[in-house]
Amino acid sequence: MPIVERSLVEVDRTEALELEGIDVSGDWNTFLRSRVVQDLDLKVADWVKGQPQGETISRCWQCGTCTAGCCLHTDFGLEEFNPRYFIYLAQIGYEEELRRYAQTVWRCVSCNKCVERCPKGVKVEEVIHTIGSYLTLTGAAPESPADRFDRAYTENLLRRGVLDEPDLFRTYERLEGRRTPAGELLRMGLKLLGSGRLHTGPLAHRTRGWRRMGAVLREALTEDERRRREGLAPSPPPPGGPP
Amino acid sequence: MNPILVLGGGPAGLSAAAELAALGAPALLVERENYLGGNPKRWHYSLLAPDLKPAEEILGALLSKVEGNPKVDLRLSTTLSKAERSESGYLVTLKSADAVETRAVSAVVLATGFDHFDSRRKFEYGYGRFPDVLDFKELEAMIHDDRVVRPSDGKPPRRIAWILCVGSRDIQVGNPWCCRLGCAVSIKQAVEVRQKHPEIDAYVYYMDIRTYGLWEDLYWKSMQEYGVKFIRGRIGQITMAEGGSRLLATGEDTILSRPTEVPFDMIVLASGMEPGVGTKEAAALFAAPVGPEGFLSPSLSDLNPVDSGIPGLFYAGAATGPKAIPDAVTEGMGAALRAYQYARR
Repeated sequence: MPIVERSLVEVDRTEALELEGIDVSGDWNTFLRSRVVQDLDLKVADWVKGQPQGETISRCWQCGTCTAGCCLHTDFGLEEFNPRYFIYLAQIGYEEELRRYAQTVWRCVSCNKCVERCPKGVKVEEVIHTIGSYLTLTGAAPESPADRFDRAYTENLLRRGVLDEPDLFRTYERLEGRRTPAGELLRMGLKLLGSGRLHTGPLAHRTRGWRRMGAVLREALTEDERRRREGLAPSPPPPGGPP
Repeated sequence: MNPILVLGGGPAGLSAAAELAALGAPALLVERENYLGGNPKRWHYSLLAPDLKPAEEILGALLSKVEGNPKVDLRLSTTLSKAERSESGYLVTLKSADAVETRAVSAVVLATGFDHFDSRRKFEYGYGRFPDVLDFKELEAMIHDDRVVRPSDGKPPRRIAWILCVGSRDIQVGNPWCCRLGCAVSIKQAVEVRQKHPEIDAYVYYMDIRTYGLWEDLYWKSMQEYGVKFIRGRIGQITMAEGGSRLLATGEDTILSRPTEVPFDMIVLASGMEPGVGTKEAAALFAAPVGPEGFLSPSLSDLNPVDSGIPGLFYAGAATGPKAIPDAVTEGMGAALRAYQYARR
């Protein structure tokens, strides 16, 4: 697979220009970033190997069996999704390049064919997700609307042990900086309630013992987050953004 | 019975002499240096791949069978200056600093071994000019003495690279063959460094990893247990990083399809194996056929790997090509047996 490096090209400006009646419009001032690998840092490799799901990364010897059978890479034609390549970048510590795939790595659909086929026992699917976690935790990918929704959803659920859908809607709107006018909100709410598609959660339902249960869950999540962030400092997003 | 001459006191020669003595045959063991043990002794090999046993332990076992053995007539600092076929074997002339002596021997085992490739010939790596570019036999001695530091400033390195196939698989230096051991020894060194100094990052630049047969285990362990990193691509040149004291390894990472210029504190060259000086001299003295690579050619390398095809002349060890110590020891045994049979014919 050729490595697509569109992001290395900086198109500074597109100019419309006519000279003596001839249209010479086009891109100019186009620079190529250096392709030379100038340093390696094993921080990413060490972190991934240190995670329970990432420890098999060190087994990889780059044979390509995983990518050869990867349904995203082959059947779905998503050529830049190349698990072998992501593993190599993480293994040798070429983080700058890896960061350009911060969103792509999350496209794995966990079919696990790679895990079944790997001759060296790399749990490819888990390793790829661990690499993804590293990239997310270090801020390689900007938080997406889906990430924000996940955050609002988890918080909402943790509060009472049952989903409060009207509240989730309001919270998420706030996170996105949107505001639906009260009248429209009421109209929509009543319509959804009438058709049974809006669940009022805490109004109709109470989760027994949630105060203690929720506290345990919260503590576990905090601890998990703390562990994952151990030794990680957020770094700035990559120049050029994802490919 | 006239003694059987064993030329060369490395692992193959020691093994041959020990085996002859065990058969009850007198052995005349001639070594050009003033010590026994060959290259492993000369370069202070540390642990031997793949079992990571100390070289001294292996050599010591061989030496104990030879030194002080009444069946073994040991001649150190001695070379062969003449060899003539005779009715009963060979007439050989031994030369040392203070004496020249002609002896009748009933058979000859050439265990004249190899020399490490002189890495200065690969001038683009700067060996001999940059103090922190080491030949791996020098690192071997450092590991042996547990003092892995940069020769330039005596400081511990933070990141080391190994370059494989230096003077091997390279027609520019006239050595198209594979040295068989560079991969295993480099990987073993990286493991040893990481065992003692986990804070040092270890990278190996390779084209292929040839840890053949059961040695594969060493390669796997190096990755899985010791975190040695492997980058595919042959380094093209080594320079000094601008203004600094670090070395720059310039090459192509052929997995990334990108040029790479990564700084290292120390770069270790896995220098290949060439026919030893003694092997070249012996080939001329005995008019023994050599292959295109300059190593002695057995008459039938698959069936009789220790037979020269010349009556009474037998080979053992790296004189016939790059070889690991266990193979050299085995061939020493085989050559001893064949020479004994010839002497008793």
